[in-house]
Amino acid sequence: MTVDGWFIASLVVGLISSLICVVAALLKKGPNDVTLLSVVAVELFLLSYLVASIVRTATGVQPAGAAWEFWAYLITAISLPVAGFYWAILDRAFWSNYVLAAVGLTIVVMMARMAQIWYGMATLALGT
Amino acid sequence: MTINSTPAPRTQDSKSTGAGRLLIAVYGIFALAASARAGFQIASKFSEAPVAYLLSAFAGLVYIAATVSLAKKGAFWFRAAAVAVGVELLGVLVVGALSLFDARVFPQETVWSLFGRGYGFVPLLLPILGLIWLYRHRAPAQTA
Repeated sequence: MTVDGWFIASLVVGLISSLICVVAALLKKGPNDVTLLSVVAVELFLLSYLVASIVRTATGVQPAGAAWEFWAYLITAISLPVAGFYWAILDRAFWSNYVLAAVGLTIVVMMARMAQIWYGMATLALGT
Repeated sequence: MTINSTPAPRTQDSKSTGAGRLLIAVYGIFALAASARAGFQIASKFSEAPVAYLLSAFAGLVYIAATVSLAKKGAFWFRAAAVAVGVELLGVLVVGALSLFDARVFPQETVWSLFGRGYGFVPLLLPILGLIWLYRHRAPAQTA
């Protein structure tokens, strides 16, 4: 896969958010402003990626792989921090911070998949 | 600052709280990932590897069943969770072994191929942790 600025940005934002949430959980702290805002940062990153992807598509650049698979990944990714945030404010136990930590890591993995779909990868010939 | 949570007694229903929440969340992510992937594979290139893609779909269903039954309370859902997680462990072991020895039947990656290598071996670890978690939250032995 091609590593672009978007993926590097997701790696930084996602891993820092996960790290913050794991440390807070290890300290037996429930979800607080710091951990919740770190997940909000992940969501803001995804929304900017969404806007950029719409702009890229509008200017005629298309994903190398199946376009609908790319958008399905992106929409799912965008809904994950929302779901984690909602869960964390319902259950204030420290375990919810581990759930929030899972969000950042999952987003990084999904961004890697989206990069593969966008730029195409050697092993996958999807003949679009 | 203190979080005054007195440790809840370990009952069947407490399987859905504490670390069980994280387990449900991870199962939910895998339910989503496996079902979506299988849906895409079956919709776009089913004829390439029908056995592998049907197994993908089956894995997705097992993850959905495990997620739901782990989240629900009651003796029935506890048994359902044990069955779903047990089937999952069996699935990842059988498919993992088959994909190792008979690459012709499994030319395409599924969640369980090579014991879940494509997913950082989480699919192999998850049912083991799930069964340990359920065992520690089983109902006390009853006479009758």
